[in-house]
Amino acid sequence: MQTAEAWVATPLRQFLDDARVRVAVLMNASGQVLGQAGFARSTDVMSACALAAAINATAGELGRQLEGKPFEGVHVAGRDQQAHLGVAPTPRGPLLLLSVFDEHTSLGLVQVFFEEFRARIAKAALAIDASAPQLAADFESDLNRNLAALFGRT
Amino acid sequence: MSDEIHRLSDELAHDPSSLAFLRLAELLRRSGDVAAAERVAQRGRARHPGLAAGHDLTARIAADRGDVAAAEDAWRTVLRLMPAHAGANKGLGFLAYRTGRLRDAEAHLAQAARGNPDDETIAVALATVRAELAAAAPAPPAVVVAPAAAVPAAVPAAGPAAIPAPATHVEAAGSPFADLSADADAILIVDRDGLVLTGTAPAGQSEREAELGAHLSGVSDEAERAMRHLELGAWATIVIEAPGASVALAPIGGLIGGDAVVLVAVPRTTPLGLVRRVLDRATQLARAWLEARA
Amino acid sequence: MSAFQPALSAVMRLRGVTACLVVDEHDGVIVDSTLQFGMRGNVLAALLASLFRKARQSVAAAGFGDSAFLTLEAERGRVCAVGQGGLVLIAVADPRTNLGLLRVELNKARAGLG
Repeated sequence: MQTAEAWVATPLRQFLDDARVRVAVLMNASGQVLGQAGFARSTDVMSACALAAAINATAGELGRQLEGKPFEGVHVAGRDQQAHLGVAPTPRGPLLLLSVFDEHTSLGLVQVFFEEFRARIAKAALAIDASAPQLAADFESDLNRNLAALFGRT
Repeated sequence: MSDEIHRLSDELAHDPSSLAFLRLAELLRRSGDVAAAERVAQRGRARHPGLAAGHDLTARIAADRGDVAAAEDAWRTVLRLMPAHAGANKGLGFLAYRTGRLRDAEAHLAQAARGNPDDETIAVALATVRAELAAAAPAPPAVVVAPAAAVPAAVPAAGPAAIPAPATHVEAAGSPFADLSADADAILIVDRDGLVLTGTAPAGQSEREAELGAHLSGVSDEAERAMRHLELGAWATIVIEAPGASVALAPIGGLIGGDAVVLVAVPRTTPLGLVRRVLDRATQLARAWLEARA
Repeated sequence: MSAFQPALSAVMRLRGVTACLVVDEHDGVIVDSTLQFGMRGNVLAALLASLFRKARQSVAAAGFGDSAFLTLEAERGRVCAVGQGGLVLIAVADPRTNLGLLRVELNKARAGLG
């Protein structure tokens, strides 16, 4: 597992250990990666983040149109693997956790441990210094720095 | 072979604590990539320092490199973890023979033979050593008998023939569960890595025991996780009734038992109450056996 | 009321039983359940279905055939689970529960799982 921001490490590690998913990536709603496990290449992480952010935006809008509030999770069942995308609200904004899993775990377990992850990450976010400068102004270089940190190329 | 190497590499990348490192390093070793095999083995050993198979693998890789001292060191670690490990005894026996220590060679090969009475390579090697001891030969011969196993070991060109890959571990005779053998088809002590420490193996069934231990040890991991999250306390017994047998598990517990479990397989027709009694008795015997080896 | 309710109710009537669930073994999600107040059904379902599946696969891999019945005893509770047709019927009970009666009820209910 690698994280671009230290405060996400413990909750993400706990989720990975409990849920036993194959691959996971944590990002903010804009698709900026905060942590990942199981990916071999940074390009795969970038793709996954971009797609997940788009899926979340679409699912959210669909929920608003159908039910007046955004859908908060997406589950896709493939033949051999499944994907789960969940939203974790935090004081630093919503985070998205995309995980891919196989027969070694189950949707029920991923959902249960994702709920626990939501509580932990929200608590961890509260402990962060709220005055830390926001990075959105220089998104591209932040993304590249995060990816470089994740793949050991600082 | 390269497909399997890729598959195992992927598995290990996904789960660095997977035991797939054993097979992967072995395949790399056989393909001649000793450096890669050593890296894989080293990482696996760091994650599983108590796993005898990891140290056994290290020893064989060191032997391929011709590093006798490292190979001996690793096999001695194996014997500290598993005193009756046939492979380690065989490896040390051959190393001792290569370096002229015939008495040591004889002792190790004799121990290996006790655990592997049907292994002809050990029998022939032991006979060779004993013959030389009897003739009081001053130096080891240029050629050592190679085993039938299809695992070549690379050695320096100037040295004697390759050190053979040791055979799979077989527990020595003298099971602590002899009294219960009439009530159960199998009783095993399995460590947290799913490896059998001892059990009631019929002759030649050590691989079957190993499979049983490996498959069923995962159930205790799963139970431990479930109990932790459900706040039901530590699990005490698990009984799984299947068409072919009833299988019962219990943690041995305490400082001696650690994460080891005792596993009992009984005929399916055995009443559940009796299964529990056999399991209780087996757990007591397992604890006593471990304490005697502490 | 689902087709599983009569079976769930029969099990819940036993003294000491705190939860009874029918769970999809593959997904670990609840199909139907009856729970005492405070029991977290989705957590029970996910974890215990996973345990049952692991047990079933392990004994099958060991050559003993597909598992029929799982019994687990822990410090503060007992769990019994029986599976059929991709569904698992799970009962969670406290340590005072009569295990024999619980097994009888679960085995009766098993046929209704499909």
